[in-house]
Amino acid sequence: MKNYWFLFWGYAVFWIGLAGFLWMLIRRQNQTRRRLDRMERELDQRRDGSS
Amino acid sequence: MSSTPNWLERSLYPLLVLTTAGMVGALWLIFLHAPEEKVMGAVQKLFYFHVPAAIMTYAAVAVLLIGSIAYLWTRDVRWDNLSIAATECGLFFCGMVLITGPIWGRPAWGVWWTWEARLTTTLVLWILLAAAILVRSYADNRELGARLASVLGILAAIDIYIIRKAVEWFRGMHPTVFKPGAERDVDPAIGQAFGATSLVFILLFLLLLAVTYREAQLRDRAERLTQALGR
Repeated sequence: MKNYWFLFWGYAVFWIGLAGFLWMLIRRQNQTRRRLDRMERELDQRRDGSS
Repeated sequence: MSSTPNWLERSLYPLLVLTTAGMVGALWLIFLHAPEEKVMGAVQKLFYFHVPAAIMTYAAVAVLLIGSIAYLWTRDVRWDNLSIAATECGLFFCGMVLITGPIWGRPAWGVWWTWEARLTTTLVLWILLAAAILVRSYADNRELGARLASVLGILAAIDIYIIRKAVEWFRGMHPTVFKPGAERDVDPAIGQAFGATSLVFILLFLLLLAVTYREAQLRDRAERLTQALGR
């Protein structure tokens, strides 16, 4: 019993799953960083405006 | 209160390099060093990823249990951020177990899926982890979501105990990989490949946990800034 196709798909699914998980994490992190930068700039502008 | 610790930032890249190098070594051991199992043939090599993924699911739920209890006790959001990270990692590893298992089970057992005790309780675990993520998204406020998710985290830990005992209690068809005190008659190369892959999976788990924790901390900072801006 060789079952090379099952072996191939078992590993392929793992790598696709890992790549998808990492892509989701990186994308979400970049979005959060952009949002943070925008808000920090806005907060700085408000501080400058009030002083 | 919840900025990312410096040591965590500094450890990410070395961990990434170590995990990548370790993975290459582990794959070499799996495909070029360890022999093909006589009865199941090539498909048995799924064991080297399926079992460490299951062990990392247990590790993630152990971290989730600590985070959940500590959050309910202290109401410190850093513990909840740790729970978020552990839930996401646990969901990933548990998903990998649930996908690689049937791919291995089809040629080994002749079926993709059976409502056998260990398989069913593992599916329940995946649902609990997914539910913990969903309640956070749909709760009216952060505190309520964190509390409900913490309760689900504790239930997930109870489910892990049932998964461990399922084969014993319900006499399912899933094999018990490690029996305490049992004699092992396996090729040393199989043990070496399994040991190396398990170590690499520990590194992968730590890397994913660090990345998800850092992201949870960033989102937390963004929430506080949103409040500071009065939005």
